[in-house]
Amino acid sequence: MVTTDLQYSYSHTIGMYALQGRGFNNPVDLAFGKDGLLYVLNRAGPEVSARLPYKRVTMCTVDEDYLGEFSSGGVEDGQMMWPSSIAIDRDGNVYVSDEALQRITIFDSRGRYLDKWGTRGRADGEFNRPSGIVFDADGNLLVTDSLNCRVQRYTRDGSFLESWGRPGRAAGEFNLPWGIHVDAEGGVLVADWRNDRVQRFDAGGSHVATYGAPGDADGWFNRPAGVGTDADGNLYVADWGNERVQVLDPDGGFLFKLRGESGISKWGYEYFEANTEELRERQNSNMEPEVGPLARGSSREESANIEKLFWGPTAVKVDEEGRLFVVESCRFRIQIYQRA
Amino acid sequence: MQNQDIALLSHLMRRAGFGATPDELERYAEMGYESTVEELLHPENMPPALEDEDLIRRYHVDENGLLIVDSCQTYLVYRMINTRRPLEEKLALFWHGIFATGYTKLNQPKAILNQIEMFRRYGFGRFRDLLVELSRDPAMIFWLDNKDNHKDAVNENYGREILELFSMGVGNYTEDDVRQCSRAFTGWTIRNAAHHTVRTAQDSVWPYGRLDWQYEYRPDDHDEGEKLFLGRQGAFDGEDVIDIICEEPATARFISRHLYNYFVADEPQVPAWETVPPRDPAAIDTLVDSYFESGGDIRAMLRTLFNSDFFKSARFAKVKSPAEMVVGAARQSGGFAFPEVEDIQLALETGNMGQLLVDPPSVEGWHTGPEWVTTASLVNRVNFAVKQFADETKPGVRSIIERVQARGPDQTPEQLVEGCLELMGPMDVSPSTREELLAHAADANGGGASAERVKELLQLIVATREYQMA
Repeated sequence: MVTTDLQYSYSHTIGMYALQGRGFNNPVDLAFGKDGLLYVLNRAGPEVSARLPYKRVTMCTVDEDYLGEFSSGGVEDGQMMWPSSIAIDRDGNVYVSDEALQRITIFDSRGRYLDKWGTRGRADGEFNRPSGIVFDADGNLLVTDSLNCRVQRYTRDGSFLESWGRPGRAAGEFNLPWGIHVDAEGGVLVADWRNDRVQRFDAGGSHVATYGAPGDADGWFNRPAGVGTDADGNLYVADWGNERVQVLDPDGGFLFKLRGESGISKWGYEYFEANTEELRERQNSNMEPEVGPLARGSSREESANIEKLFWGPTAVKVDEEGRLFVVESCRFRIQIYQRA
Repeated sequence: MQNQDIALLSHLMRRAGFGATPDELERYAEMGYESTVEELLHPENMPPALEDEDLIRRYHVDENGLLIVDSCQTYLVYRMINTRRPLEEKLALFWHGIFATGYTKLNQPKAILNQIEMFRRYGFGRFRDLLVELSRDPAMIFWLDNKDNHKDAVNENYGREILELFSMGVGNYTEDDVRQCSRAFTGWTIRNAAHHTVRTAQDSVWPYGRLDWQYEYRPDDHDEGEKLFLGRQGAFDGEDVIDIICEEPATARFISRHLYNYFVADEPQVPAWETVPPRDPAAIDTLVDSYFESGGDIRAMLRTLFNSDFFKSARFAKVKSPAEMVVGAARQSGGFAFPEVEDIQLALETGNMGQLLVDPPSVEGWHTGPEWVTTASLVNRVNFAVKQFADETKPGVRSIIERVQARGPDQTPEQLVEGCLELMGPMDVSPSTREELLAHAADANGGGASAERVKELLQLIVATREYQMA
């Protein structure tokens, strides 16, 4: 069924650039905790010792109340190096996948380290650059095992249950899969990043459908990074290489796309209150300038020129109120859209 | 004969690229020297430089946004190592050194990467067109203050440097020419200049990171009056001035000497050029002729250069720059194709050796040749190279070991040393270096061509004086 009346309008933006504390640093994913708590995962490169503390999980609310942060860059228990995805289990514990340390790290809801598991390899249960993670309806963890080109399912404590997929382009095969999502009916959606498509599986991992093809036409993708659904089953895809979010109906039919409309966040306004000269010059500037010859035809370069546009959208999430959250790794913020 | 071909191609690839592996050299040998030169001169006929650029942007998320100078340096080094268009990248580095634009003043590293991308696009074409693009380049406009060059308040910084450091050289123009040249570039600025100036002054990355810069021409701020420049009179604008500059023999000689210094053999530094003649005047004359015969076409000049006897006979006549040392050893040893957490170490190494990419020390660029080597930098250079060849699981190291071993299990020390030198270049070494290598090969642990023995020899070879030379 095509949902023709689905519309979103820009609501507001959370976040701004920050090395530590109130703000984000290369945010790549977001998870919804209890009572409106947001966990924002900051990958924060490059990996030099002085910058390792910037890797962290930020806790805040949709209204930009800053509630703290936990973890940091490093190889010790509770630290992370290439955090990729974040998910919350039924007890409120926080799980983080790490593509460099080849492990899943578990924190309690307040960020205290609990446990870790994972081993690098190719055998069942081992993984190579665990990327996207999500809990299924039974409370088990699904992981996109990106370099092994498969999805693996584990119990919460890391016991291997099953896997599906292998390298390739055929249905059910993957090429460096990234984001993963479980819809309201238990179906599994995978952003098959290097195959430029989204694949749908049933709860048991049987292939159901494939959406998209390489390109920038409506309904096509360029390296999709994240996928989500709403209560009606509509699909939201972080079309990373095209710097946009595409919305598809439950059958994969194109509905519309978003390119980004960010205004200034609450934290951003507070920055300008202390930097009035910069604000004044900003207000005198054309913030949507015509881009130069190097940028023409490149959505990425366009995003580097025009601040309001998505740049590096890696995750899309829909909350219980139907609000759409778009995490932008290169603009250090989350744009929120309200369903009309 | 075949070994001589390989040696010549190896020389070509050290200069027109960042070195080549034995497998790559065999492919070039099948093509022949002149065809290889033509392939290098036409990157547009090759596949895109990187097989999958998205990979580095995905895993190194900071190299997608390029907010941090370290990220830009790492991206650039990754590209040099993995490019399938070696001369395109080597030539871009050449222009980066001549039209030196530094992060330290700009606080906008991606603008410099954008400039380097412009060098990739225009670096092979007419010098005139390159200078026009350079004059419109936002990073250059910011770097040399042309955004502050107004009709009623001329700023001579860019007008001076385009003559002194980018085209003709000191002694070939007057102070009046500088003034007139600067007037011609009034109104060549960047969009939202006041906003970007404030952000740059306080290195603001708030709230959402940096904003790319765009060139803007403001006719209301351009001096349209008559100008007397290098003996010509007219209502010149920037392009007219560049046309005049590019007709000057001094410009042809200046760019020829730069090409010679970078691709053929070390020259004294630019400030000395006014008084110190070229080490090979006939070679410079040949390149100057090529410049005028081709209408200032850089590709044509490079074709002349690479096919010349003066180039072919200049093997190991240059000290490797830090970028050449790091990228060359990384390409040779292999293992840097897929993004890894440690990638940034390579970029840091070039800095430790004295070449902070994306951040040259001044508008003069880096001092080259023997000035690359200091006591401290030499230690870094040797340690880095030795470290690359300490890991025999690296694909390039493993390949060389296997090639040496394929020559037989019971090789004499002489055969082992010869085999390793051949596969590492081929490299020419002095008698004393050869003696040291032979002594180690005779004493080394393990008999014959054991992997350990070959690996140790490779590490010794990259620690030699000869490996410092390109």
